[in-house]
Amino acid sequence: MCETCGCGDTNELKIHDRQHSHDHEHDHEHSHDHNHDHNHDHSHTHTHDSVLFTHTHDHGAKKVISLNVDILSDNNRLAQINRKSFEERNVLSLNLVSSPGSGKTTILEKTIKAIIANRKIFVIEGDQQTLLDADRIEKSGAPAIQINTGSGCHLDARMVETAFKKLDVEPNSILFIENVGNLVCPALFDLGEFKRVVVISVTEGEDKPLKYPYMFKSSHLCIINKSDLLPYVDFDVDKTMEYARSLNPNLEFILLSARTGEGMEMWYEWLGKQK
Amino acid sequence: MHEFSLAIEVINLAQREAEKNMAGSIQEITIEVGDLSGVEADAFESALELLVKDSILENADINIVRTPGKGKCNACNLEFEMKYRMATCPQCQCFPSEISGGEEFRVVSLVVE
Repeated sequence: MCETCGCGDTNELKIHDRQHSHDHEHDHEHSHDHNHDHNHDHSHTHTHDSVLFTHTHDHGAKKVISLNVDILSDNNRLAQINRKSFEERNVLSLNLVSSPGSGKTTILEKTIKAIIANRKIFVIEGDQQTLLDADRIEKSGAPAIQINTGSGCHLDARMVETAFKKLDVEPNSILFIENVGNLVCPALFDLGEFKRVVVISVTEGEDKPLKYPYMFKSSHLCIINKSDLLPYVDFDVDKTMEYARSLNPNLEFILLSARTGEGMEMWYEWLGKQK
Repeated sequence: MHEFSLAIEVINLAQREAEKNMAGSIQEITIEVGDLSGVEADAFESALELLVKDSILENADINIVRTPGKGKCNACNLEFEMKYRMATCPQCQCFPSEISGGEEFRVVSLVVE
């Protein structure tokens, strides 16, 4: 394997780095038969700094298809189908996102135990590997299905569509979708949820909203968990809220501790208010 | 690394469009990636390079056009280039500003044969 470009073997060059030269040869072929009038070493892909860049191409018999299609449109379309399925069954769907270890699963365990007598709860669990979280949820009393994304870093609308059907979610229930612990990638993927809940814990920095703005901008509620640890850490709750509101003025906040139960009532009230 | 998933989306989208237009091959694809789109353009480009093998885009020329982020200050209305989402206004140092460009992530066009 070429250590510089990562290509598999000498017959299969996939990366062309314009910044360095190889000291060995690869066999590869390109079948480009149009002419560029810009001067650089030709490469399979290239990046321009501005949309104003114009090509002069001799297209001959070729056809130019103007698309302007959002690349996430397929996911967004499926998310809309999910949203409709949830609404038709009057299922309250919530997408829980956070970094790993913020306490999403513990919050869910406590929530299930506290309110399952009043309302059915179903859970879709997303993790790269293992069935551990789904097992924890089922022990709490709610049916759960685990999606293992393998090397994937987020859930997408198609995965949720499949899981929703398999889980056979009952009408008028709550569906929690616990996303893969990751504050970056899940922000871009609409799952069809009614609302997005971002969880952070006081053992993380108060600057988290600034570091991961896409997630905080796209969420409706921010749960600040592990409030019982506040006396032992330097976490500034007000500062966190201020940073997050600067990105998303409509974001709601609940400070709680899933471990001690402090603040959990506010969370249950919030759930009760969602229609 | 959602850029890999996004690269797969692009390949699927190109395949569908080629079929719709009864095209034998795709010669060129132009993709716009805004600096504030949440997509890392370099990682996306690398992912696409790795994944196009045996796909409709294998021999296509792939143009990635980067669109600069644009913001308008909520306080003084200055329009300025936003290099990142949390940028403060260069004139009055206020924050936040409204994003007015650079969130695009789309396939602009295909050249098919």
